[in-house]
Amino acid sequence: MSDTPPSTEPVSETSDAATTADGYIVDLDHVSLCYRLAKQRIPSIKDYAIHWMRGALVYEQLWALKDVTLKIRRGETVAIVGRNGAGKSTMLKVISGVLKPTKGTASRQGRISPILELGTGFDFELSGIENIYLNGLLLGRSRKEIDEKVEDIIEFSGLNDFVRSPIRNYSSGMVARLGFSIATAWVPEVLVLDEALSVGDNRFVPRCEERLARYREAGSTLLMVSHNHASLAEFCTRAIWLEQGQLLADGPIHEVLAKYLDFAAHGDDDIPAQLTEQVTAP
Amino acid sequence: MKTLYGHRDLILYLVARDLKVRYRRSVIGLVWTMLQPLLTMAVLAVVFSSLFRFNIRNYPVYALAGILFFNFFQQSIITSMNSLRGNAGLITKLPVPTAVFPISTVLSGVVNLLLACVPLVAIVLITGHPIKPAILFLPVSILIAAVFTLGAGLILSPLAAFFHDIVELVGVFMTLLMYMTPSFYPMTIVPEKFLWAVRYNPVRSIMEVFRDPIYYGKIPPMNHLLLASGLALVALAIGVFTFRRMSDRIALYV
Repeated sequence: MSDTPPSTEPVSETSDAATTADGYIVDLDHVSLCYRLAKQRIPSIKDYAIHWMRGALVYEQLWALKDVTLKIRRGETVAIVGRNGAGKSTMLKVISGVLKPTKGTASRQGRISPILELGTGFDFELSGIENIYLNGLLLGRSRKEIDEKVEDIIEFSGLNDFVRSPIRNYSSGMVARLGFSIATAWVPEVLVLDEALSVGDNRFVPRCEERLARYREAGSTLLMVSHNHASLAEFCTRAIWLEQGQLLADGPIHEVLAKYLDFAAHGDDDIPAQLTEQVTAP
Repeated sequence: MKTLYGHRDLILYLVARDLKVRYRRSVIGLVWTMLQPLLTMAVLAVVFSSLFRFNIRNYPVYALAGILFFNFFQQSIITSMNSLRGNAGLITKLPVPTAVFPISTVLSGVVNLLLACVPLVAIVLITGHPIKPAILFLPVSILIAAVFTLGAGLILSPLAAFFHDIVELVGVFMTLLMYMTPSFYPMTIVPEKFLWAVRYNPVRSIMEVFRDPIYYGKIPPMNHLLLASGLALVALAIGVFTFRRMSDRIALYV
């Protein structure tokens, strides 16, 4: 293959955080992230003014991540487990740089290739080929880099002649295949997968797994969220377990999975924590 | 800044897409961009030359130049305010530098302004208004206008992500600003007590640098030029500063 690792020049998107000099490719340092949900449906300046004058701006704070510290070295393969709403996707967004931590710092070295949600960055009126360009550009690639890969992407996605028709005609599996093919067209430095393989069919998934295995051998860092524990165990050596925004466990995959499955079997009331709290803004 | 430069092809793509959408909608899309200011100007020419009788030599050129500039400014600001929420699906799911959206909006506004200069030149020729070599200065004027508008767009667009109704407020303010900017009326009709509002309106300074080469056929005087460039740079500096401050929170609110 003509895949050459992309430049290893450090690229930190967090302005205030120093890039990790000690060899960590992803470094979350005491990260907390708060979604502030205004009680009003639409955040409008009118509501804001009215409530400000009454002196009662009430927000519901949702701490999706609470004091999470996570350091990942280049080439590590990390699984993230936890129940729905545990903060897994939020953490991947912080790692990718989509969300900035409310407290703490997040820094990363190198380029992150995220597959966070099905169909992200696609324009459903455009054809598959046009979307390859749009999506590649959104991932920070240049037109020239995409020109070099467009054949590969079409070939890997297995979409054949479909690439010329608008993707609103695609099935969700086909959209997922195209998204995966674009995000993994270049050997990633850090590949972030949020349930990316769950919609592929049984012909596509093995090809994806083969590609992931090859990138792992090539030294890519993998971060995966999945409820398919078998495939996590196959790809990852390390796992972290998130529950209500907190890091409950971090260690070898089999240990963490065992703990997590044990917990999942014994009901949900082990962790007393207030998920939301009423806070009056100053 | 570095990540923005890395996304330059994306910015160009967004500009091209914006222009394509604007002109594909109607068969006469391109003609329409040129027609719309022309028609506005025709209405104003009739209204003002028969009703209000401004004492302005070759009123159509005066008004059209002013209106073209103000349309560019107003539309770029409003569209860049909507650009963040319009792209919320991308901003909350991909690590795209959010500034690409207001930047590409203002750039496509510049392209539209350039296109709209075609009917402007046509009017100049038809009305027999002299074209002086100073018109070659126009690209510099447009650059100053673009920098100023980008700065204002960077200041205002994150606010629109936090407060969704601020766009309407700014829309109202734009109407006020339009009347504070002598685009289709002469400075001489402004009553004494409101003169300060027009005189200290930064948008007027930027507009005059745009209109001078076309209407007066002269390069703007050095002090005007320095003032306009200064205002543009200050607006951009404030815009970059505030956008950077707020950009971390945009993805949480859009």
